[in-house]
Amino acid sequence: MKPNEAFGRLAWIELLLRWSVGLAFVLASLHKVAHPADFAQIVYSYQLFPAYTINLIAIVMPFVELVTGLALLAGVYPRAAASIVNGLLVTFMFIIAVNLMRGHDFDCGCFPTFISRLYTDSPTNMLIRNTILLACSLPVMLYRRRRRGVIFSTAGS
Amino acid sequence: MKAIDLIKQIFLLLSAALVLALGVNAVSPRGIPWYGQWDEAQGVVTADQAVLQPTLDFEIPDASTAQRLHASGQVLFIDSRTAADFREGHIPGAVSLPVGEFDRQIEALQTRYDSTHPIVTYCSGRSCQDSHILAQRLFEVGFENVSVFIDGYPGWSGEGYPVETE
Repeated sequence: MKPNEAFGRLAWIELLLRWSVGLAFVLASLHKVAHPADFAQIVYSYQLFPAYTINLIAIVMPFVELVTGLALLAGVYPRAAASIVNGLLVTFMFIIAVNLMRGHDFDCGCFPTFISRLYTDSPTNMLIRNTILLACSLPVMLYRRRRRGVIFSTAGS
Repeated sequence: MKAIDLIKQIFLLLSAALVLALGVNAVSPRGIPWYGQWDEAQGVVTADQAVLQPTLDFEIPDASTAQRLHASGQVLFIDSRTAADFREGHIPGAVSLPVGEFDRQIEALQTRYDSTHPIVTYCSGRSCQDSHILAQRLFEVGFENVSVFIDGYPGWSGEGYPVETE
């Protein structure tokens, strides 16, 4: 990419998708960041991780979501942030699918309890939501032209 | 953009998240230790055993002990699960006091029972902490004789002991 390259016609769409995914990740992280013990209980309920990793996952993972979400919103290394987001989404979908296949019920931990009470999310709904997010963040990762709303980036990133 | 640059940026973002996570966890009053107690064979599972510490000495570790206390007819069993779970099935004679309803319902309990009345709290077994939290709240308001049946309703019904529904 040349430094003075004009924004492509798709730059607004890239910005919209990037902000949507960034906002979703920031919002999803807030409750977990504030209540790591609750989130640890949810990680435990997945019944997938060794016991010694559960607290560490509950401490670190919400901040990975928060930092990547903020990076997407602010335009800091957007391609790298979108790559992490895609990796997380694929991992979440794998976890949901495994639990769906073995008929294991669990809370996704995505929303505060008072929101969860309004509607109980089924694993199928979680898979649909993650698929939509992945459909938004994949183009952000693959976008090669000059991006709008970027404050910290290297060429092509 | 070279792949190596992308990897460096991913590493930078993940490092920032890691440093932030460990830093905030270290100073936050809601921070948790790096390792929790997640083995149900060892007792109730929890991210932070220190939170449950005051009530760990008052645990009833098996259903048969709980059943003996129940059979004595002298002990009040309190169900700390949600009202909906309580309606679906509970230990006979138990009263419902979900942790989230504590402030609203505790006065009624205090007027009905003396502070020395023996109480056993329970919830959904070793994967839930509500019975411990409820016991702690009961100690705080003055009840002196509170125990926690850690295998809870699943442990009770799993042994084939009678249950009550509403």
